This record gives sequence, C-alpha cells and structure tokens, in this order.
Amino acid sequence: MDQSATATPRDIPERGRQPRKPVVKPERTRRQLSESRLGKYLFVLPAVLFIGLLMIYPLFYNLNLSLHDVHLSNFLAGERPFVGLQNYFDAFSQPAFWHSLWISLLYTGGSILFAFLIGYGLALFFDRAFPGSGTMRAVLLVTYVLPSVVSGTVWRWMLQGDSGIVNALLQGIGIIDEPVHWLIHGPTAMISVIISTVWVTSPFVMILLLAGLQGIPPGLYEAAKIDGTNAWQRFRHVTLPMMRPVALTVLLLSFIFTFKTFDNIYVMTKGGPGDATGIMPIYAYDKAFNFFEFSDGAVASTVLIIISIVMALLYFWMTRKEEAA
Amino acid sequence: MATLDQQPDTAEQGQDRFARRKRTTQYGKAAVGLLIVLVYLFPVFWMVSTSLKLRGDVFSIPPELFPSPVVFGSYIESVFQSPPVLRALLNSLVIATGTLFLTLVLGTPAAYALARLRLRFTVLISLVLLLAQMLPTINLALPLFVIFTDVGLVDTYAGLILANTALALPFAIIILRPFFLSVPGELMDAGRVDGCTPFAVFRRIVLPLIRPGLITVGALAFVTAWGEFVFGLTLATSEELQPISVALNRFIGQYGTRWADLMAVATIAALPVIVIFAGLQRFIVGGLTAGATKE
Repeated sequence: MDQSATATPRDIPERGRQPRKPVVKPERTRRQLSESRLGKYLFVLPAVLFIGLLMIYPLFYNLNLSLHDVHLSNFLAGERPFVGLQNYFDAFSQPAFWHSLWISLLYTGGSILFAFLIGYGLALFFDRAFPGSGTMRAVLLVTYVLPSVVSGTVWRWMLQGDSGIVNALLQGIGIIDEPVHWLIHGPTAMISVIISTVWVTSPFVMILLLAGLQGIPPGLYEAAKIDGTNAWQRFRHVTLPMMRPVALTVLLLSFIFTFKTFDNIYVMTKGGPGDATGIMPIYAYDKAFNFFEFSDGAVASTVLIIISIVMALLYFWMTRKEEAA
Repeated sequence: MATLDQQPDTAEQGQDRFARRKRTTQYGKAAVGLLIVLVYLFPVFWMVSTSLKLRGDVFSIPPELFPSPVVFGSYIESVFQSPPVLRALLNSLVIATGTLFLTLVLGTPAAYALARLRLRFTVLISLVLLLAQMLPTINLALPLFVIFTDVGLVDTYAGLILANTALALPFAIIILRPFFLSVPGELMDAGRVDGCTPFAVFRRIVLPLIRPGLITVGALAFVTAWGEFVFGLTLATSEELQPISVALNRFIGQYGTRWADLMAVATIAALPVIVIFAGLQRFIVGGLTAGATKE
C-alpha cells in the first residue's frame, strides 16, 4: 500500500511493460532505477538548456520585439511600449519591404537554378569511377568551407572593373568590348553575387546529388543497354526519372540554405548599388543596426523565419514520404 | 602490318587490348576531371597569385597568371607587421577554439543520450535541431544583440563563443548521433554488468569508439566559427574583439586598390581552413552532408 502510494505516474507504464517482474519491487532497486532515469536526462540537459537559452528564447524574444516599438532613443532608455501588429502593418505598407522580398526570391532562384545545373553536371561526371575521382570531388568542396568573407573578397577582386581578371578574360575572347563595372550597376551586381554564390554552393549540390546517383540500381542501365539505347536515352529515361525525388529535395535544401545567405552579399555589395541586391536578411540588418529600428528589423526577421520554417517543414514532409515509399 | 592486325586475336590478346583501352579512357577521364578541378578552383589560385605580386604588377594588362617576381612584401607589411590583423587572427583563434570545446562538451553527451538512452521526444528533438540549422543567422544576431546588451555580453569573447556554439551545437548533435548508434550495445551492456555507472560507460567505453565523430564535429565547429561573419559583425562592436572575417571586410574599404595586400590577408584568413580541410578531408566531407540533410 505504502509503496503504491509513492509510485510516480511514470513508474506505472514501466511496470506494465514488464509484467513478468514481481509487482512489488524492493525499495532500493526502484530508487536506483529512478536515479539512472534522471541520469539519462542529465546528459541532454546542458545542451537543451543551451539551445533553449541561446536559440529558442532569442527567437521568441525577436517575435516579442516585433510587437513592441523599440528604436534607438527608447532602446537606451529601456522603454519598450507594446504596439501589437502595428509594426507589421507599417512594414507591409513600405515598398522597400516588398522589394527586399522580391530581391531575395530573385537571388535565391537564380542561384539555385545555376548551382543545380552545374552541380548536376559535376555529379554526372564524377559519378564515374576513374583514378582520383573521389579525391577530386572532395577537393572541389573546399569552396563550400572557405570563409564566406574570403570568397566574397576574391570575387570582388576578380570582378573589379578596371583590372579584374573576369573582364580581361571576356575582352580577350571578344565577348565584351568595354570593361564591365560589375558591382556598380544593379543588374550586373545581381549577376555577380549569383556567380559567387553558385561557385560556393555547386560542389555541395554535387555531393548531395552523387548520393542519389549512386542509389540507382546498375541493373536498370544494363537492361536499357540490352534494349539498344544510347547514352543520352539512358540519361533521359533512366537517370532523370530515377533522380527526380532526390533532385527535388536537393533543390528545396538549396533554397533553404541560399535564402538565408547574408555574408556573401554583404561583403560584395552591402545590398547595393542602391538596393539592387538588398535581400531580406540585409534589409533586416540595415533596419536594426544602421537605423536602429529594432522593431522594424524584428518584423523583417519574423517574415524571414516564417518562410524558412515553411520550407523546412516542406523538406521534412517530402523526405518523410520518400522514406515511406 | 595491316594483315597482321586483321588476324583474329586470341582470347588473351583480346582481353589485354580491351583492358588497355579501358585503362586509357580511365586516364582520359582523370585528365578531364583534373582540368575541371583546376578551372573550378581558379579563384583560390588567383587569390594566392595576386597576394605574391608587386603592388603595381597587380594592374598589368593583360593580367599575368603567375607572379614575377614572387614577393612576400604584402604578407610582411599587411599581416605580420600589422597589429590589427594579428589581433583579429588571435580573436578568431580564441573564438573558434572556445566554440570547438563548448560544442563538444555540450553536444557529445546530448548525442549519446539521444542515440542510446531511449528518451522521450527523440524524433522531435532531432527535427528541432535540423530546423535550427536552416534558420537565417541574422534571426539570431538581432535578438542576441539586444539580449547581450542587457546582460553585458556584447563585445566579449564569451558572448561570441556562446553565439557561435548556438550555430554549431545542432549540427554537432545531428552528426554525432549516428556514431553513437553504431557502437555495439553488447559492449555497453558488458560495462554495465561490470558495475559501471552510466557516466563511466559513456566515458570509458563509448567515447574512445566514436573518435572519428568527435574529429568531424571538432573540425567543422572550428572551421565554421573561424569564418563566421554575422555574429562578429553585430556582437563585437569594437575592433579590438572582431574576428578576422570582419577585419577582412573592413579592409576592403580601407585598402582601396591595394589588392595584393587584401589578397594576402584573405589568404591568411583562408589558410587554417584549407589546412584543416586538407588534413581531415574525409571527416569533413562526410560531416557536411550528414549535418545538413535528413537521412
């Protein structure tokens, strides 16, 4: 009686799962059991606390910030009046906000399209076994781990108007007559940041697609060969359809990781000229750290995070369906 | 000669010729592959090449591929004799090393528990961790700046290490969990039978077996924290504490057209990453894909 009174609700399903054990356990064993169960959670507790304090709490803090009116003067004074959704209405009525969303989609779309095509090409080439192919495809991945400020600076130098190597090359082979001042004009600045992003991400896309290519059963290709197909037909009717699910998840993943880019554009153009490359993360940063409109920055980052979360959930959902199939 | 060639081969000769032709195309492919790699990595070469040129030679038209003469002036002047650059390198070293240790200390036990101790919500926690990696860094930088201002962590190493660990910890746990899953359960049971506490099982039996995982996570945490930019830009407002990434970005404006100097700083900033990548390539390549995707 005494023991059943002290049993915590958690003990009950545990006991139910092991019906063969004696119903009345000695007191000592039970204490040991609960100690080790507590011990289990001690392993995750520090990490959970850390993530809670430094990731989840800040994200909610951000949400909260977006519902208050916080700018430089009252931030320092510590006043943060609650204004409800007013900041959102203000942001949504500004063309600059919608412009940054459009620029983000343009930049992300352009980058993932070309990174996907180049990554696919590289994957098809390096999928074949030849001496050094493994090392070569790993070496390509160095562009992905290089500090983004380094790659941004190097591309800035290569695309420089008067003495950049890109202009010299394009003039050398006769594509352009006059040097192009890539980062000074809006449309070419967008092309520039897309080029450097594609350079960084294509090898990563290649690695992800390679995993998919290697999962295609070789028997399918052999059967197609027996049917007298040529290499193009096999690519068109075996590789492409077999790769479709993998390709879609890779595209989605690229979208998620490109949409959140900040460094590359900040280093190359700071969102300029004007706001020609002013993607949403740059817009949010400018609002908060250059104009000290913390609430406006928080609104932009809330919208940013909602888009990211929706895409991430879509990715989870798609990969889940894949597993079930 | 022609008639000789037309004679039917014996089976052995035929196989030999086939193997030789196959080997030739193999080397042909390898040559094309090498060419692709060289062209693709040209920007890295161009960075190093520019950094070794005389300041004036940088502007020569048409550009010279290789520096002649090779000079180290930009490295001496703009790196080794430049206190701000040395300071920024030291800052990055402190931040990246701190992040590496904090990530391992927090991430390893958590990954172990999620893999082995049959906790509730394991799937949910894993999804949250994966999601955490997909969120824009700026989403964290903005509130962290406001919070850190309140608690006095802006402009401190501690603040930067904490923020960088927040980025590294989710992928550390995701990468480490499969390593723990691959440890044979019998080994751990044996330890438990011998009277080890859960902590002793973890420390004495499991940890030594998952060293490759720890190396992967350590390398990735260091490399990402070394190159991290957004937190350096927002949470370190004084130049004294800014990492090399932020310093390099600042020099773009300051150096004007001294591209050789800028490329020398860029090369030095990239060097630790390239060295670690070259040395621990197989760990890093595996870790990058495992950390970003859902199996």
